Amino acid sequence: MSDDLVLEMRNIRKEFPGVVANDGVSFDVRRGEVHALLGENGAGKSTLMNILYGLYRPDGGEIRLAGKSVSFSSAREAIQSGIGMVHQHFMLVPVMTVAENVVLGSEPRSGVLLDERVAEKRVADMAKTFRFAVDPGARIEDITVGQQQRVEIMKALYRNADILILDEPTAVLTPQEASDLFEILRTLQREGLSIIFISHKLNEVLEIADRITVLRRGKTIETVPSEGATEASLARAMVGREVLLRVDKEPAQPTDVLLEVRDLHVRDDRGIEKVRGVSFDVRAGEIVGIAGVDGNGQTELIDALAGLQKIESGTVEIAGHALTHASARAALDAGIGHIPEDRQRRGLVLEFSIAENIALHDYAKPPDAKWGWLFPKRMVQRARTLIREFDVRGGGPFTRAGGLSGGNQQKLVAAREIARDPSVLIAAQPTRGLDVGAIEYLHRRLVAERDEGRAILLVSLELEEILSLSDRILVIYEGRIVGEHTGDITEEEIGLEMLGGRETAAA
Amino acid sequence: MSTWAARLDNPLSARLRDPAATGALGIFLGAFAAFLAIPPIEARTVTWPIVVGIVAVALGIWTVSRGRRRLGWGAVAAGVLGIALGMLATRSSTENLGSAFDATLVAQTFSFATPLVFGSIAGMFSERSGVVNIGLEGMMLMGAFWGVYGADKGGSWVVGLLVAAGVGGLVALVYAFFAIHLRSDQIVGGTGVNFLAVGITGYFFVELYHNNPVPNGVSLLPNVRIPGLSGTGFFAQAIGDLNILTWASFALVILAYVVLFKTPIGLRIRACGEHPRAADTVGINVYAIRYGCVVLSGILVALGGIYLSEGPQGNGSFIFNMTNGRGFIALAAMIFGNWRPAGAFGAALLFGFSSALALKLQVYSSSAATLFQILPYVLTLIAVAGVIGRTVAPAADGKPYVRQ
Repeated sequence: MSDDLVLEMRNIRKEFPGVVANDGVSFDVRRGEVHALLGENGAGKSTLMNILYGLYRPDGGEIRLAGKSVSFSSAREAIQSGIGMVHQHFMLVPVMTVAENVVLGSEPRSGVLLDERVAEKRVADMAKTFRFAVDPGARIEDITVGQQQRVEIMKALYRNADILILDEPTAVLTPQEASDLFEILRTLQREGLSIIFISHKLNEVLEIADRITVLRRGKTIETVPSEGATEASLARAMVGREVLLRVDKEPAQPTDVLLEVRDLHVRDDRGIEKVRGVSFDVRAGEIVGIAGVDGNGQTELIDALAGLQKIESGTVEIAGHALTHASARAALDAGIGHIPEDRQRRGLVLEFSIAENIALHDYAKPPDAKWGWLFPKRMVQRARTLIREFDVRGGGPFTRAGGLSGGNQQKLVAAREIARDPSVLIAAQPTRGLDVGAIEYLHRRLVAERDEGRAILLVSLELEEILSLSDRILVIYEGRIVGEHTGDITEEEIGLEMLGGRETAAA
Repeated sequence: MSTWAARLDNPLSARLRDPAATGALGIFLGAFAAFLAIPPIEARTVTWPIVVGIVAVALGIWTVSRGRRRLGWGAVAAGVLGIALGMLATRSSTENLGSAFDATLVAQTFSFATPLVFGSIAGMFSERSGVVNIGLEGMMLMGAFWGVYGADKGGSWVVGLLVAAGVGGLVALVYAFFAIHLRSDQIVGGTGVNFLAVGITGYFFVELYHNNPVPNGVSLLPNVRIPGLSGTGFFAQAIGDLNILTWASFALVILAYVVLFKTPIGLRIRACGEHPRAADTVGINVYAIRYGCVVLSGILVALGGIYLSEGPQGNGSFIFNMTNGRGFIALAAMIFGNWRPAGAFGAALLFGFSSALALKLQVYSSSAATLFQILPYVLTLIAVAGVIGRTVAPAADGKPYVRQ
């Protein structure tokens, strides 16, 4: 069997200042298999793959490609050895065409000129062979995220990759796009490619992978065939303890309407109307989830509610008080708590300490300040309490927020917002990029806040999250609410609505 | 039906129906309306400027109605201005106009535009690769001084060109080291280069030439006389006797376009300016590309500099701080032209034209002339504010790249 191995990584070790990211990691890939690398954030998956792709140099260990020992000092060498990587954040130039992005770095030439015809033809051929449905002449910024990902795959295929690394490929996709991707991966597999699939989503890994290697804190925990593995067994291996995968919650007991939105219209920064007449209520004691594909108006809706974006028309009321044209400050004072979708860019000032981040809203009020004078000691004291209450790990009040892990950053944001005792809590993508442990914590917290009598508006691109947390689900498509569900509904049904399926069916 | 469909699918007709195109056409016609009244066309009635101006306004209003407001209002403004200027021009005497608007104005425009073309193309290479080069001014000044020095000591303008290019490239290399390797702030670094250049050229000017502006008998950049184009005809006066570097600047625009947009290396340069990490992951050496582009930028802008001192206007003499902001205007031309060679060339010509016109108008009114000289700055402000289509810098322009 061992001559079947296209890749072996043995005892790989990589240290960064203060952290051992890979501590004797071993794993191998057989020809034509999909091998999943499963682990929490910070488990060392990406480090391992960056080593394989030549972006990092290992401090120890051996990499063997088809039996031959190799050592890459740049991505170019890895590419030449037949390794291709689809990065989590796409490495595409938005203003260039699909064909230009695919050939970049290994361009077909005629004389000294770039042969655009040949480039477009090769991409078109590839798209046809693998049924990618991508126009080679389209600009990257004009195509969907799912198509962009296919461009990334084409980049690897164009360079004759026979090992394809996909780093969290479904994080940005809708369920439909994800199943399209899996179809493509199976085709590639049949063509003899070996695929390394990095993920922290258990169901996906079980669906697509032949074998699964679990990493935890930089160490290989186990490699198992996906047959026979279960979500529970994998989660235990990943986290190192039993994990509650389903959210335990009582049925909601909604009371008064706390957030009332009527016929809301919002334009984005470019003047395009992104929210086109949205109306809904959120009551005290319920979680309302908004499901939708990215870019269908969710961001603008949240920003309008939080006072960050101008409202064209329509009304917003918080517990009966009009808040339509309020500033962000007024929205906060009226009782809106906002966990923004991008914790690093909008939720936190990364260069500030934990204590300073916690004081961002109430810095001008007692106890943090009086008569325009800050009291740092009180800020620190408040931070200490909240760090303990919300279990923020990785530092004290003086730790730089940017130095915390994603999960702890998100806990910090949640701590600040919830500590203000908001009547309405908007949680936008609260668990994006977090690992199972942190997700579990935040989900439990949101349910607890619901039970405290807050109205919670959950906006998420993760359908599973919407389904497991929400008491009521609204589906947003092209700026309109196209569906509302309370009872049981499957991912597929909602997925169809998210793509405007109901509208087309009705038309 | 099918022929209609085919015609609608025709890319040209689709382009013409694009409000962006009509808006641009409106702006062009507005400008054209003003020019109708002056030589060489010299329509002597006010009718034509008014007709063309009204068409421009109409196109502008249509564009506004199609949602491209800024562009549309720009066209409306251009049309109104065109009518006003056209009327003014037809009222003043023909002799006055004749002496201000003749073929030499064209030649002067090209002459004033030459250093700007070199500078803007230089800046374009640097910025397309992702490095803001505000040090153009200083590198141009270095080219101006060391070009004269080279021509003086080497005995030939060719040596001057080589020395200017070499020094420009060297200064750019130093700047590149700060901007790329040390990742220092590019605005601060570029400003440093500018002051450094004033100091260095000033010092050596005193040291080597004792502040004497004309080293005698320096070999100058020659003009290119086109055989068969001599005498007093319009074309003969306009392009019959242009400097060799002016012709080179025309070639440079075409060459820059081909290199940046039609070759693999150009694709890589632009990728480094838009998304350096993406370029890195496909094995492109971002640092090498950026170093190359910044050094090339220094070489090109220094050639613009030597034109100031060794060209027809400079007459072989260096003057303290003689660039006098032209490096910045070149940068403005590049921005005005939206980081594209043809656009930058057009902007450089426009700026050159306003300088040439200011020179001509000096005879009549020095205050009007001075007013005309601020035209480039006003236009640049308008362009940056986004009235005539929004200018979009390369996404990673000015951001140092850190490998992971």
